[in-house]
Amino acid sequence: MAAVRSEKDSFERLFKAQYARVAGIANRVLVDPQEAEDVAQEVFMDFHRLHSASSAYAAPWLYRAAAHAALNRVRGRKRRERRELAQALDEQARTLDPQQEAELNEDRRRVRTALAKLPHKPATVLVLRASGLSYSEIAESIGVGTGQIGTLLRRAETALRKEVNRGTP
Amino acid sequence: MAHLNDGTLRRMVDDPDAVAGPDREHFAGCADCKARFAGMESDAMSANALLATPETQFDANAAYRRMTAQPARPRFGFRLPILRPASRAMVAALALVVLVAVGVTAAVNVSNIFQPQTVKPVPITVADLESLPNLSTYGDFKWVQQPTPAIGVSKAEAEKVAGFSAPDAKSLPAGVTADQITYAASSQIVGSFTFSAAKARAAAAAQGKTLPAMPSGMDGSTLTMTIGPAILELYGNVTAPSGSTTDPTQIQLPKLLIGESKAPSVTSTGVSSKELENYLLAQPGLSPELAADIKALGDPSTTLPVPVPVQYATSSQVTVQGVQGVALGDNTGLGAAVIWIKGGDVFFVGGSLKQDDALSVANKLG
Repeated sequence: MAAVRSEKDSFERLFKAQYARVAGIANRVLVDPQEAEDVAQEVFMDFHRLHSASSAYAAPWLYRAAAHAALNRVRGRKRRERRELAQALDEQARTLDPQQEAELNEDRRRVRTALAKLPHKPATVLVLRASGLSYSEIAESIGVGTGQIGTLLRRAETALRKEVNRGTP
Repeated sequence: MAHLNDGTLRRMVDDPDAVAGPDREHFAGCADCKARFAGMESDAMSANALLATPETQFDANAAYRRMTAQPARPRFGFRLPILRPASRAMVAALALVVLVAVGVTAAVNVSNIFQPQTVKPVPITVADLESLPNLSTYGDFKWVQQPTPAIGVSKAEAEKVAGFSAPDAKSLPAGVTADQITYAASSQIVGSFTFSAAKARAAAAAQGKTLPAMPSGMDGSTLTMTIGPAILELYGNVTAPSGSTTDPTQIQLPKLLIGESKAPSVTSTGVSSKELENYLLAQPGLSPELAADIKALGDPSTTLPVPVPVQYATSSQVTVQGVQGVALGDNTGLGAAVIWIKGGDVFFVGGSLKQDDALSVANKLG
Protein backbone atom coordinates (compact mmCIF):
# COMPACT_ATOMS: atom_id res chain seq x y z
CA MET A 1 0.00 0.00 0.00
CA ALA A 2 2.88 2.34 0.80
CA ALA A 3 4.28 1.80 -2.70
CA VAL A 4 0.90 2.58 -4.25
CA ARG A 5 0.60 5.72 -2.14
CA SER A 6 4.09 6.80 -3.09
CA GLU A 7 3.39 6.27 -6.81
CA LYS A 8 0.18 8.29 -6.52
CA ASP A 9 2.01 11.13 -4.80
CA SER A 10 4.78 11.04 -7.40
CA PHE A 11 2.22 11.21 -10.19
CA GLU A 12 0.43 14.15 -8.60
CA ARG A 13 3.73 16.01 -8.27
CA LEU A 14 4.64 15.21 -11.86
CA PHE A 15 1.22 16.29 -13.10
CA LYS A 16 1.23 19.61 -11.27
CA ALA A 17 4.82 20.38 -12.24
CA GLN A 18 4.43 19.59 -15.94
CA TYR A 19 0.77 20.12 -16.79
CA ALA A 20 1.02 23.75 -17.92
CA ARG A 21 3.98 22.98 -20.15
CA VAL A 22 2.38 19.84 -21.64
CA ALA A 23 -0.90 21.66 -22.30
CA GLY A 24 1.08 24.58 -23.73
CA ILE A 25 2.81 22.29 -26.23
CA ALA A 26 -0.52 20.88 -27.34
CA ASN A 27 -1.96 24.38 -27.58
CA ARG A 28 0.97 25.46 -29.76
CA VAL A 29 -0.29 23.00 -32.34
CA LEU A 30 -4.03 23.21 -31.80
CA VAL A 31 -4.48 26.90 -30.89
CA ASP A 32 -7.44 25.72 -28.86
CA PRO A 33 -6.88 25.74 -25.08
CA GLN A 34 -9.82 23.47 -24.36
CA GLU A 35 -8.73 20.81 -26.81
CA ALA A 36 -5.12 21.25 -25.66
CA GLU A 37 -6.25 20.42 -22.12
CA ASP A 38 -8.02 17.30 -23.41
CA VAL A 39 -4.80 16.22 -25.11
CA ALA A 40 -2.74 16.96 -22.00
CA GLN A 41 -5.03 14.83 -19.84
CA GLU A 42 -4.93 11.97 -22.32
CA VAL A 43 -1.16 12.12 -22.40
CA PHE A 44 -0.87 12.09 -18.61
CA MET A 45 -3.33 9.21 -18.32
CA ASP A 46 -1.44 7.21 -20.92
CA PHE A 47 1.78 7.86 -19.07
CA HIS A 48 0.25 6.92 -15.73
CA ARG A 49 -1.03 3.59 -17.02
CA LEU A 50 2.29 2.59 -18.48
CA HIS A 51 5.10 4.18 -16.55
CA SER A 52 6.26 5.13 -13.11
CA ALA A 53 5.92 8.84 -12.37
CA SER A 54 9.39 8.84 -10.87
CA SER A 55 10.94 7.71 -14.17
CA ALA A 56 13.80 9.90 -15.30
CA TYR A 57 12.24 10.08 -18.76
CA ALA A 58 8.83 11.27 -17.54
CA ALA A 59 9.02 14.92 -18.66
CA PRO A 60 10.59 14.32 -22.10
CA TRP A 61 8.10 11.49 -22.70
CA LEU A 62 5.20 13.81 -21.90
CA TYR A 63 6.50 16.63 -24.12
CA ARG A 64 6.93 14.40 -27.14
CA ALA A 65 3.62 12.64 -26.56
CA ALA A 66 1.80 15.99 -26.30
CA ALA A 67 3.29 17.18 -29.60
CA HIS A 68 2.49 13.90 -31.35
CA ALA A 69 -1.06 13.68 -30.00
CA ALA A 70 -1.80 17.28 -30.95
CA LEU A 71 -0.33 16.87 -34.44
CA ASN A 72 -2.42 13.73 -34.90
CA ARG A 73 -5.52 15.68 -33.96
CA VAL A 74 -4.76 18.35 -36.55
CA ARG A 75 -4.27 15.62 -39.14
CA GLY A 76 -7.65 14.19 -38.24
CA ARG A 77 -9.48 17.45 -38.09
CA LYS A 78 -10.60 17.97 -41.67
CA ARG A 79 -14.09 19.40 -41.50
CA ARG A 80 -13.94 20.24 -37.82
CA GLU A 81 -10.91 22.42 -38.34
CA ARG A 82 -12.47 25.75 -39.16
CA ARG A 83 -14.99 25.52 -36.36
CA GLU A 84 -12.36 24.60 -33.78
CA LEU A 85 -9.96 27.32 -34.79
CA ALA A 86 -12.75 29.85 -34.70
CA GLN A 87 -13.31 28.90 -31.05
CA ALA A 88 -9.65 29.48 -30.25
CA LEU A 89 -9.70 33.24 -30.46
CA ASP A 90 -8.26 34.89 -27.41
CA GLU A 91 -9.06 38.27 -25.89
CA GLN A 92 -6.53 39.97 -28.12
CA ALA A 93 -8.05 38.49 -31.23
CA ARG A 94 -11.50 39.48 -30.07
CA THR A 95 -10.43 43.12 -30.10
CA LEU A 96 -9.74 42.84 -33.82
CA ASP A 97 -12.35 43.75 -36.35
CA PRO A 98 -14.16 40.89 -38.09
CA GLN A 99 -11.97 41.19 -41.21
CA GLN A 100 -8.76 40.93 -39.15
CA GLU A 101 -10.22 38.08 -37.12
CA ALA A 102 -11.04 36.14 -40.25
CA GLU A 103 -7.52 36.69 -41.62
CA LEU A 104 -5.90 35.62 -38.37
CA ASN A 105 -7.98 32.45 -38.27
CA GLU A 106 -7.13 31.67 -41.85
CA ASP A 107 -3.41 32.19 -41.21
CA ARG A 108 -3.50 29.89 -38.20
CA ARG A 109 -5.38 27.23 -40.09
CA ARG A 110 -2.93 27.39 -42.97
CA VAL A 111 0.14 27.17 -40.70
CA ARG A 112 -1.22 24.28 -38.65
CA THR A 113 -2.19 22.40 -41.78
CA ALA A 114 1.31 22.93 -43.14
CA LEU A 115 2.83 21.85 -39.82
CA ALA A 116 0.78 18.68 -39.76
CA LYS A 117 1.99 17.80 -43.26
CA LEU A 118 5.63 17.69 -42.10
CA PRO A 119 7.05 14.38 -40.91
CA HIS A 120 6.63 13.80 -37.17
CA LYS A 121 10.20 14.52 -36.13
CA PRO A 122 10.68 17.97 -37.72
CA ALA A 123 7.15 18.98 -36.74
CA THR A 124 7.82 17.94 -33.14
CA VAL A 125 11.14 19.79 -33.05
CA LEU A 126 9.44 22.98 -34.26
CA VAL A 127 6.59 22.69 -31.77
CA LEU A 128 8.84 21.96 -28.81
CA ARG A 129 11.21 24.81 -29.66
CA ALA A 130 8.35 27.25 -30.17
CA SER A 131 7.02 26.10 -26.79
CA GLY A 132 10.23 27.26 -25.15
CA LEU A 133 12.06 23.97 -24.61
CA SER A 134 15.86 24.16 -24.56
CA TYR A 135 17.98 22.29 -27.08
CA SER A 136 18.85 19.64 -24.51
CA GLU A 137 15.20 19.19 -23.51
CA ILE A 138 14.18 18.76 -27.15
CA ALA A 139 17.04 16.32 -27.71
CA GLU A 140 15.96 14.23 -24.74
CA SER A 141 12.33 14.25 -25.86
CA ILE A 142 12.97 13.01 -29.37
CA GLY A 143 15.89 10.77 -28.46
CA VAL A 144 18.76 12.42 -30.36
CA GLY A 145 21.99 14.16 -29.35
CA THR A 146 21.84 17.85 -28.42
CA GLY A 147 24.33 18.60 -31.21
CA GLN A 148 21.76 17.53 -33.82
CA ILE A 149 19.06 19.96 -32.76
CA GLY A 150 20.45 22.94 -34.67
CA THR A 151 20.48 20.97 -37.91
CA LEU A 152 17.03 19.49 -37.29
CA LEU A 153 15.59 22.91 -36.50
CA ARG A 154 17.12 24.44 -39.61
CA ARG A 155 15.68 21.71 -41.83
CA ALA A 156 12.30 21.87 -40.12
CA GLU A 157 12.05 25.64 -40.50
CA THR A 158 12.95 25.43 -44.18
CA ALA A 159 10.40 22.67 -44.67
CA LEU A 160 7.69 24.65 -42.86
CA ARG A 161 8.37 27.76 -44.97
CA LYS A 162 8.10 25.72 -48.16
CA GLU A 163 4.95 23.98 -47.02
CA VAL A 164 3.28 27.25 -45.99
CA ASN A 165 4.24 28.87 -49.32
CA ARG A 166 2.89 25.85 -51.16
CA GLY A 167 -0.43 26.28 -49.42
CA THR A 168 -0.60 30.02 -50.04
CA PRO A 169 -2.98 30.87 -52.86
CA MET B 1 39.07 27.01 -42.49
CA ALA B 2 35.83 25.30 -43.53
CA HIS B 3 32.56 27.21 -43.28
CA LEU B 4 30.39 26.70 -40.22
CA ASN B 5 27.78 23.98 -40.71
CA ASP B 6 24.04 24.63 -40.72
CA GLY B 7 23.53 23.18 -37.26
CA THR B 8 26.10 25.49 -35.70
CA LEU B 9 24.78 28.55 -37.51
CA ARG B 10 21.22 27.75 -36.53
CA ARG B 11 22.24 27.34 -32.92
CA MET B 12 23.88 30.78 -33.08
CA VAL B 13 20.48 32.23 -33.94
CA ASP B 14 19.24 31.15 -30.51
CA ASP B 15 22.53 31.55 -28.71
CA PRO B 16 25.06 33.97 -30.23
CA ASP B 17 27.67 32.68 -27.79
CA ALA B 18 27.25 29.09 -28.98
CA VAL B 19 30.56 29.20 -30.86
CA ALA B 20 33.93 30.26 -29.60
CA GLY B 21 37.58 30.38 -30.66
CA PRO B 22 38.36 29.73 -34.32
CA ASP B 23 34.69 29.28 -35.31
CA ARG B 24 33.86 32.67 -33.91
CA GLU B 25 36.78 34.30 -35.69
CA HIS B 26 35.84 32.60 -38.95
CA PHE B 27 32.26 33.79 -38.70
CA ALA B 28 33.36 37.38 -38.00
CA GLY B 29 35.26 37.50 -41.28
CA CYS B 30 33.16 35.25 -43.55
CA ALA B 31 30.55 36.92 -45.75
CA ASP B 32 29.20 33.53 -46.89
CA CYS B 33 28.54 32.27 -43.35
CA LYS B 34 26.98 35.60 -42.44
CA ALA B 35 24.65 35.42 -45.44
CA ARG B 36 23.60 31.88 -44.54
CA PHE B 37 23.13 32.95 -40.94
CA ALA B 38 20.88 35.83 -42.04
CA GLY B 39 18.72 33.43 -44.07
CA MET B 40 18.39 31.06 -41.13
CA GLU B 41 17.62 33.86 -38.74
CA SER B 42 14.86 35.04 -41.05
CA ASP B 43 13.39 31.52 -41.36
CA ALA B 44 13.62 31.02 -37.59
CA MET B 45 11.83 34.31 -36.87
CA SER B 46 9.25 33.49 -39.47
CA ALA B 47 8.59 30.03 -38.00
CA ASN B 48 8.37 31.50 -34.54
CA ALA B 49 5.84 34.06 -35.70
CA LEU B 50 3.83 31.46 -37.59
CA LEU B 51 3.65 29.22 -34.52
CA ALA B 52 2.86 32.00 -32.07
CA THR B 53 -0.21 31.42 -29.91
CA PRO B 54 -2.14 33.72 -27.63
CA GLU B 55 -0.82 33.53 -24.10
CA THR B 56 -2.90 31.00 -22.17
CA GLN B 57 -2.81 30.07 -18.50
CA PHE B 58 -3.44 26.43 -17.65
CA ASP B 59 -4.59 25.57 -14.13
CA ALA B 60 -2.81 22.35 -13.17
CA ASN B 61 -4.62 21.98 -9.85
CA ALA B 62 -8.05 22.22 -11.45
CA ALA B 63 -6.99 19.85 -14.23
CA TYR B 64 -5.72 17.32 -11.68
CA ARG B 65 -9.01 17.47 -9.80
CA ARG B 66 -10.93 16.92 -13.05
CA MET B 67 -8.79 13.98 -14.02
CA THR B 68 -8.88 12.23 -10.67
CA ALA B 69 -12.65 12.69 -10.54
CA GLN B 70 -12.99 10.50 -13.62
CA PRO B 71 -13.47 6.78 -12.99
CA ALA B 72 -10.30 4.79 -13.56
CA ARG B 73 -10.35 3.10 -16.90
CA PRO B 74 -7.21 1.00 -17.14
CA ARG B 75 -6.36 -0.32 -20.54
CA PHE B 76 -4.07 -3.24 -21.21
CA GLY B 77 -0.86 -2.25 -19.52
CA PHE B 78 2.49 -3.85 -19.68
CA ARG B 79 4.56 -2.25 -17.03
CA LEU B 80 6.06 -5.64 -17.27
CA PRO B 81 7.50 -6.61 -13.94
CA ILE B 82 7.60 -10.19 -15.09
CA LEU B 83 11.07 -10.00 -16.46
CA ARG B 84 12.74 -8.45 -13.48
CA PRO B 85 14.52 -10.84 -11.15
CA ALA B 86 12.73 -9.28 -8.18
CA SER B 87 9.40 -10.26 -9.65
CA ARG B 88 9.65 -14.01 -9.86
CA ALA B 89 6.56 -14.50 -7.75
CA MET B 90 4.68 -12.33 -10.22
CA VAL B 91 6.11 -14.35 -13.10
CA ALA B 92 4.91 -17.55 -11.54
CA ALA B 93 1.49 -16.03 -10.85
CA LEU B 94 1.16 -14.70 -14.37
CA ALA B 95 2.24 -17.98 -15.89
CA LEU B 96 -0.39 -19.74 -13.83
CA VAL B 97 -2.95 -17.14 -14.81
CA VAL B 98 -2.18 -17.67 -18.48
CA LEU B 99 -2.45 -21.43 -18.19
CA VAL B 100 -5.63 -21.37 -16.15
CA ALA B 101 -7.32 -18.69 -18.22
CA VAL B 102 -6.38 -20.26 -21.54
CA GLY B 103 -7.50 -23.61 -20.25
CA VAL B 104 -10.77 -22.32 -18.86
CA THR B 105 -11.53 -20.18 -21.87
CA ALA B 106 -10.60 -22.94 -24.26
CA ALA B 107 -12.66 -25.42 -22.32
CA VAL B 108 -15.59 -23.10 -22.38
CA ASN B 109 -15.43 -22.32 -26.04
CA VAL B 110 -14.54 -25.63 -27.54
CA SER B 111 -16.92 -27.47 -29.79
CA ASN B 112 -15.62 -30.81 -30.92
CA ILE B 113 -12.16 -29.49 -31.40
CA PHE B 114 -10.18 -26.39 -30.41
CA GLN B 115 -7.39 -25.73 -32.89
CA PRO B 116 -6.35 -22.09 -32.69
CA GLN B 117 -5.01 -20.40 -35.79
CA THR B 118 -4.82 -16.87 -34.43
CA VAL B 119 -4.33 -15.03 -31.15
CA LYS B 120 -6.34 -12.26 -29.50
CA PRO B 121 -5.83 -10.34 -26.26
CA VAL B 122 -8.34 -10.64 -23.42
CA PRO B 123 -7.95 -7.97 -20.73
CA ILE B 124 -8.20 -9.39 -17.23
CA THR B 125 -8.02 -7.97 -13.72
CA VAL B 126 -7.35 -9.60 -10.39
CA ALA B 127 -11.09 -9.39 -9.72
CA ASP B 128 -11.75 -11.20 -13.00
CA LEU B 129 -9.43 -13.99 -11.97
CA GLU B 130 -11.09 -14.28 -8.61
CA SER B 131 -14.44 -14.48 -10.37
CA LEU B 132 -13.33 -17.36 -12.60
CA PRO B 133 -14.81 -20.63 -11.42
CA ASN B 134 -12.38 -23.15 -10.00
CA LEU B 135 -12.32 -25.97 -12.53
CA SER B 136 -11.67 -28.63 -9.90
CA THR B 137 -15.11 -28.08 -8.39
CA TYR B 138 -16.81 -29.02 -11.66
CA GLY B 139 -15.26 -32.42 -12.23
CA ASP B 140 -12.07 -34.45 -12.22
CA PHE B 141 -8.79 -33.70 -13.93
CA LYS B 142 -6.18 -36.32 -14.73
CA TRP B 143 -2.91 -36.39 -16.63
CA VAL B 144 -2.83 -38.49 -19.75
CA GLN B 145 0.76 -37.47 -20.47
CA GLN B 146 2.48 -35.63 -17.64
CA PRO B 147 4.88 -32.74 -18.36
CA THR B 148 8.51 -33.85 -18.47
CA PRO B 149 10.48 -30.68 -19.08
CA ALA B 150 14.12 -30.89 -20.10
CA ILE B 151 15.89 -27.73 -18.94
CA GLY B 152 19.46 -26.66 -19.66
CA VAL B 153 19.93 -29.24 -22.38
CA SER B 154 21.81 -28.90 -25.67
CA LYS B 155 20.08 -27.64 -28.79
CA ALA B 156 20.15 -31.14 -30.29
CA GLU B 157 18.63 -32.66 -27.14
CA ALA B 158 15.92 -30.00 -27.04
CA GLU B 159 15.05 -30.67 -30.68
CA LYS B 160 14.95 -34.40 -29.99
CA VAL B 161 12.53 -33.93 -27.06
CA ALA B 162 10.28 -31.57 -29.03
CA GLY B 163 10.51 -33.37 -32.35
CA PHE B 164 11.08 -30.20 -34.37
CA SER B 165 13.91 -27.74 -35.07
CA ALA B 166 14.57 -24.96 -32.59
CA PRO B 167 13.54 -21.49 -33.86
CA ASP B 168 16.45 -19.60 -35.38
CA ALA B 169 16.76 -15.90 -34.48
CA LYS B 170 18.34 -14.32 -37.53
CA SER B 171 18.43 -10.88 -35.93
CA LEU B 172 19.17 -10.01 -32.31
CA PRO B 173 18.63 -6.68 -30.55
CA ALA B 174 21.60 -4.65 -29.34
CA GLY B 175 23.09 -6.10 -26.18
CA VAL B 176 21.94 -9.65 -26.90
CA THR B 177 24.34 -12.16 -28.40
CA ALA B 178 23.98 -15.75 -29.49
CA ASP B 179 27.09 -16.73 -27.51
CA GLN B 180 25.10 -18.23 -24.69
CA ILE B 181 21.70 -19.80 -25.30
CA THR B 182 20.04 -22.07 -22.78
CA TYR B 183 17.52 -24.50 -24.26
CA ALA B 184 14.51 -25.99 -22.57
CA ALA B 185 12.02 -28.37 -24.14
CA SER B 186 8.95 -30.36 -23.32
CA SER B 187 7.28 -33.22 -25.08
CA GLN B 188 3.54 -33.17 -25.60
CA ILE B 189 1.40 -32.71 -22.47
CA VAL B 190 -2.11 -34.15 -22.40
CA GLY B 191 -4.71 -33.77 -19.69
CA SER B 192 -8.35 -34.71 -19.52
CA PHE B 193 -11.20 -33.24 -17.57
CA THR B 194 -14.49 -35.01 -16.92
CA PHE B 195 -17.49 -32.95 -15.81
CA SER B 196 -19.39 -34.12 -12.76
CA ALA B 197 -22.73 -32.51 -11.93
CA ALA B 198 -22.81 -34.16 -8.48
CA LYS B 199 -19.34 -32.82 -7.59
CA ALA B 200 -20.23 -29.31 -8.77
CA ARG B 201 -23.47 -29.34 -6.73
CA ALA B 202 -21.67 -30.59 -3.61
CA ALA B 203 -18.86 -28.01 -3.90
CA ALA B 204 -21.35 -25.19 -4.39
CA ALA B 205 -23.53 -26.38 -1.51
CA ALA B 206 -20.46 -26.47 0.78
CA GLN B 207 -20.00 -22.76 0.05
CA GLY B 208 -23.69 -21.98 0.42
CA LYS B 209 -24.12 -21.27 -3.29
CA THR B 210 -26.42 -22.62 -5.94
CA LEU B 211 -25.00 -23.26 -9.36
CA PRO B 212 -27.04 -23.24 -12.56
CA ALA B 213 -27.95 -26.75 -13.67
CA MET B 214 -25.50 -28.40 -16.08
CA PRO B 215 -26.98 -28.76 -19.56
CA SER B 216 -27.92 -32.28 -20.53
CA GLY B 217 -24.99 -34.21 -21.94
CA MET B 218 -22.42 -32.20 -20.02
CA ASP B 219 -22.40 -34.42 -16.95
CA GLY B 220 -19.84 -37.14 -17.63
CA SER B 221 -18.51 -35.60 -20.84
CA THR B 222 -14.74 -35.28 -21.16
CA LEU B 223 -12.48 -32.53 -22.51
CA THR B 224 -9.03 -33.61 -23.59
CA MET B 225 -6.46 -30.81 -23.73
CA THR B 226 -3.17 -31.18 -25.57
CA ILE B 227 -0.30 -28.71 -25.18
CA GLY B 228 3.11 -28.80 -26.90
CA PRO B 229 5.61 -30.14 -27.61
CA ALA B 230 7.57 -26.95 -27.12
CA ILE B 231 11.07 -25.46 -27.18
CA LEU B 232 12.21 -22.40 -25.24
CA GLU B 233 15.44 -20.49 -25.91
CA LEU B 234 16.82 -18.25 -23.19
CA TYR B 235 19.54 -15.83 -24.28
CA GLY B 236 22.38 -14.75 -22.00
CA ASN B 237 23.53 -15.95 -18.62
CA VAL B 238 20.53 -17.52 -16.94
CA THR B 239 22.36 -19.65 -14.43
CA ALA B 240 22.02 -19.01 -10.73
CA PRO B 241 25.17 -18.33 -8.71
CA SER B 242 25.28 -22.03 -7.90
CA GLY B 243 25.58 -22.73 -11.63
CA SER B 244 22.53 -24.96 -11.75
CA THR B 245 20.33 -24.72 -14.84
CA THR B 246 18.24 -27.77 -14.13
CA ASP B 247 16.17 -26.21 -11.33
CA PRO B 248 13.63 -23.88 -12.94
CA THR B 249 13.27 -21.81 -9.76
CA GLN B 250 16.97 -20.99 -9.87
CA ILE B 251 17.03 -19.66 -13.41
CA GLN B 252 17.54 -15.92 -13.74
CA LEU B 253 15.31 -14.18 -16.22
CA PRO B 254 17.02 -13.45 -19.52
CA LYS B 255 16.89 -10.37 -21.75
CA LEU B 256 15.41 -12.39 -24.60
CA LEU B 257 13.21 -15.49 -24.67
CA ILE B 258 12.09 -17.23 -27.82
CA GLY B 259 9.58 -20.04 -27.69
CA GLU B 260 7.79 -22.27 -30.14
CA SER B 261 5.08 -24.77 -29.34
CA LYS B 262 2.60 -26.79 -31.27
CA ALA B 263 -0.71 -24.96 -30.88
CA PRO B 264 -2.82 -26.30 -28.03
CA SER B 265 -5.92 -28.26 -28.92
CA VAL B 266 -8.99 -29.48 -27.07
CA THR B 267 -11.39 -32.26 -27.99
CA SER B 268 -14.71 -32.77 -26.33
CA THR B 269 -17.15 -35.64 -25.97
CA GLY B 270 -20.82 -35.03 -25.62
CA VAL B 271 -21.14 -31.31 -24.96
CA SER B 272 -21.41 -28.50 -27.48
CA SER B 273 -19.34 -25.34 -27.39
CA LYS B 274 -22.44 -23.20 -27.09
CA GLU B 275 -23.65 -25.18 -24.06
CA LEU B 276 -20.24 -24.85 -22.43
CA GLU B 277 -20.05 -21.14 -23.10
CA ASN B 278 -23.54 -20.49 -21.81
CA TYR B 279 -22.83 -22.56 -18.72
CA LEU B 280 -19.64 -20.67 -17.87
CA LEU B 281 -21.22 -17.29 -18.53
CA ALA B 282 -24.10 -18.23 -16.19
CA GLN B 283 -21.75 -18.89 -13.26
CA PRO B 284 -22.32 -16.55 -10.31
CA GLY B 285 -19.73 -13.81 -9.82
CA LEU B 286 -18.24 -13.80 -13.31
CA SER B 287 -17.53 -10.16 -14.11
CA PRO B 288 -19.63 -8.69 -16.95
CA GLU B 289 -16.44 -7.27 -18.55
CA LEU B 290 -14.76 -10.67 -18.71
CA ALA B 291 -17.96 -12.28 -19.95
CA ALA B 292 -18.15 -9.66 -22.71
CA ASP B 293 -14.49 -10.21 -23.62
CA ILE B 294 -15.01 -13.97 -23.85
CA LYS B 295 -18.04 -13.46 -26.08
CA ALA B 296 -16.08 -10.99 -28.25
CA LEU B 297 -13.24 -13.39 -28.96
CA GLY B 298 -14.64 -14.32 -32.33
CA ASP B 299 -14.50 -17.88 -33.58
CA PRO B 300 -13.75 -19.71 -30.33
CA SER B 301 -12.56 -22.86 -32.00
CA THR B 302 -9.75 -21.09 -33.85
CA THR B 303 -8.77 -18.23 -31.53
CA LEU B 304 -6.21 -18.55 -28.75
CA PRO B 305 -7.03 -15.97 -26.06
CA VAL B 306 -4.00 -14.23 -24.54
CA PRO B 307 -4.99 -13.00 -21.07
CA VAL B 308 -3.45 -9.56 -20.48
CA PRO B 309 -3.35 -8.32 -16.88
CA VAL B 310 -4.61 -4.75 -17.22
CA GLN B 311 -2.62 -3.37 -14.33
CA TYR B 312 0.64 -4.51 -15.84
CA ALA B 313 0.40 -4.74 -19.58
CA THR B 314 -0.55 -2.92 -22.74
CA SER B 315 -1.45 -4.98 -25.74
CA SER B 316 -2.03 -4.29 -29.39
CA GLN B 317 -2.70 -6.36 -32.46
CA VAL B 318 0.21 -6.48 -34.87
CA THR B 319 1.13 -8.24 -38.06
CA VAL B 320 3.99 -10.68 -37.56
CA GLN B 321 5.38 -12.73 -40.43
CA GLY B 322 2.24 -11.91 -42.40
CA VAL B 323 -0.22 -13.13 -39.77
CA GLN B 324 -2.10 -11.43 -36.93
CA GLY B 325 -0.34 -11.45 -33.59
CA VAL B 326 -0.56 -9.83 -30.19
CA ALA B 327 2.16 -7.44 -29.03
CA LEU B 328 2.52 -6.75 -25.34
CA GLY B 329 4.55 -3.95 -23.80
CA ASP B 330 5.96 -0.74 -25.20
CA ASN B 331 9.16 0.89 -26.33
CA THR B 332 10.54 1.79 -22.92
CA GLY B 333 12.71 -1.32 -22.89
CA LEU B 334 11.14 -2.45 -19.63
CA GLY B 335 9.47 -5.40 -21.24
CA ALA B 336 7.78 -6.47 -24.42
CA ALA B 337 6.56 -9.63 -26.09
CA VAL B 338 4.99 -10.77 -29.33
CA ILE B 339 2.81 -13.87 -29.65
CA TRP B 340 1.49 -15.30 -32.89
CA ILE B 341 0.36 -18.52 -34.52
CA LYS B 342 1.65 -19.64 -37.87
CA GLY B 343 1.63 -23.02 -39.55
CA GLY B 344 -0.03 -24.67 -36.54
CA ASP B 345 2.64 -23.47 -34.10
CA VAL B 346 2.45 -20.80 -31.40
CA PHE B 347 5.50 -18.52 -31.30
CA PHE B 348 6.64 -16.26 -28.48
CA VAL B 349 9.37 -13.60 -28.52
CA GLY B 350 9.77 -11.53 -25.39
CA GLY B 351 12.10 -10.12 -22.80
CA SER B 352 13.30 -6.95 -21.20
CA LEU B 353 13.51 -5.19 -24.53
CA LYS B 354 11.66 -2.63 -26.62
CA GLN B 355 8.56 -3.64 -28.54
CA ASP B 356 10.23 -2.62 -31.82
CA ASP B 357 13.12 -4.98 -31.02
CA ALA B 358 10.76 -7.81 -30.09
CA LEU B 359 8.88 -7.31 -33.36
CA SER B 360 12.10 -7.20 -35.35
CA VAL B 361 13.28 -10.50 -33.83
CA ALA B 362 9.83 -12.00 -34.40
CA ASN B 363 9.64 -10.98 -38.04
CA LYS B 364 13.04 -12.47 -38.83
CA LEU B 365 12.57 -15.68 -36.85
CA GLY B 366 13.31 -18.68 -39.02
